Amino acid sequence: MVTKVMQIILSPVLALIVGVFFLGLARKIIARIHWRYGPPLIQPVIDMIRLFYQKSVSHGSMFDLGLILSLAGSIVVVLFLPFGRIAPLSGSGGLLVILYIMLLAPLGMALSGGQGANPNISIGISRKLILSLGYEVPLLLVLLAVMTHYKTISIIEVVSSQQSTGWALISFPLFLSGLSYFLILPAILGLRPFDVSSAPQEISSGPMVEYGGKYLALATIEHAFVLFISIALFVNLFLGGAANPVIFFVKMLVVFVLGLCINAVFPRFRIEQAIKYLWKWPTLLAFVGLIITLAIRS
Amino acid sequence: MDRNQIAKWFKEPAKMANKYSLHAIYFCTGCGIIEVPPVITSRWDAERFGVIPVATPRQANLFLITGYVSVKTLRAIIRTYEQMLEPKYTVGFGSCPINGGMYWDSYNTIKHLDKYIPIDGWIAGCMPRPEAIFIAVIHLWTLIDKDMATGYIKYRENYKSYRRNQEMALGELEWPPLFPVSDEPRGNEQ
Repeated sequence: MVTKVMQIILSPVLALIVGVFFLGLARKIIARIHWRYGPPLIQPVIDMIRLFYQKSVSHGSMFDLGLILSLAGSIVVVLFLPFGRIAPLSGSGGLLVILYIMLLAPLGMALSGGQGANPNISIGISRKLILSLGYEVPLLLVLLAVMTHYKTISIIEVVSSQQSTGWALISFPLFLSGLSYFLILPAILGLRPFDVSSAPQEISSGPMVEYGGKYLALATIEHAFVLFISIALFVNLFLGGAANPVIFFVKMLVVFVLGLCINAVFPRFRIEQAIKYLWKWPTLLAFVGLIITLAIRS
Repeated sequence: MDRNQIAKWFKEPAKMANKYSLHAIYFCTGCGIIEVPPVITSRWDAERFGVIPVATPRQANLFLITGYVSVKTLRAIIRTYEQMLEPKYTVGFGSCPINGGMYWDSYNTIKHLDKYIPIDGWIAGCMPRPEAIFIAVIHLWTLIDKDMATGYIKYRENYKSYRRNQEMALGELEWPPLFPVSDEPRGNEQ
């Protein structure tokens, strides 16, 4: 009981530390790819301290509550994801619950932005929702293939059966799904080829345009959680999870750095180009993977 | 980061974080903005010092006025400045915001920008080199350290006279006052 409570408190804190570290690392690595020296690794922490000490402007109660809703949704998803052996709630629910609660984060942002009443927010939110329509289809197909292959909806069981049979990413029918998940990962994270919703040069960073001070700090924390969640889900489903948090962290790091290399060199898609891409190659791969998995398993 | 500063971080976290996280707003008022792209990209890389450009005034705390200010631009500058969240710092870049520069006898150019919004520091020159922005940032650090970068407090205290100057330049202002404009006269008439 005590260990469970400890884990419930500990795992969001761990996720936050890992997510914020990734934010700092992203700026450093992108700077190095651009042949710059780059900011210190703790620059996001410095920014957050500054933002928490700044005055902030609210635009109404929904503006506050939407942000809190999306933050709460992300924290709950973190509780359902195993991080090495730290898995407070993953025994109950499994992948289906994660799929449902993952929707809360963009929804909360949309509610919060709605009260901001800035035209840039509306454009950003509509782009964000269209983009999530784009990546939810392959994501659902991928998760369906994984659930069919292992005949379970529990993440814990997926991880433990991978530890006996090897990674899903290098097993025959599932490597198609794994590849598809990796292709949509930048879209889930909102990284460069798919950062249409928060494009600073086009729509003044979209949904974030009215956030300043504490709101921007909370939005940054939310972004850190989303980074953690989507990479941890990939590691759990396709890279076999890990026996201890350190190895899990190393696996996350490798996936994230690979994603960053795509982020640092590609220009931005327009929204219809992004949808065209997302519904073509990743969906095709995921669909073929699902069909083959079904054929083998039945 | 300097290791000698760790004690300072625990003593005054707000001041230190303000120093090392200056987010400058994209605002191209004049020709001076041409010096900013080399500063933020790989030639001079301002991100080393925590200076990055952001797209909206809500996220920014550093306002670089780059180049001459026409009457029309002044309107946008004032609105942008008022939307920024405190504490905020302003730096005038180039000779034109200081005293009009080569537009000293123009009918349509604001000669002394600090009559309309408070300026924490100036970079003189036409054009200043990109290195001058780094020197300005380091001077701004010193000012923040000594509690001398108090333009936003001056703006709050003398809002009435600033507002009167703005109305003299622009005519009727279509936005409500940022701070209450009381009737009792204040010092520091401009």
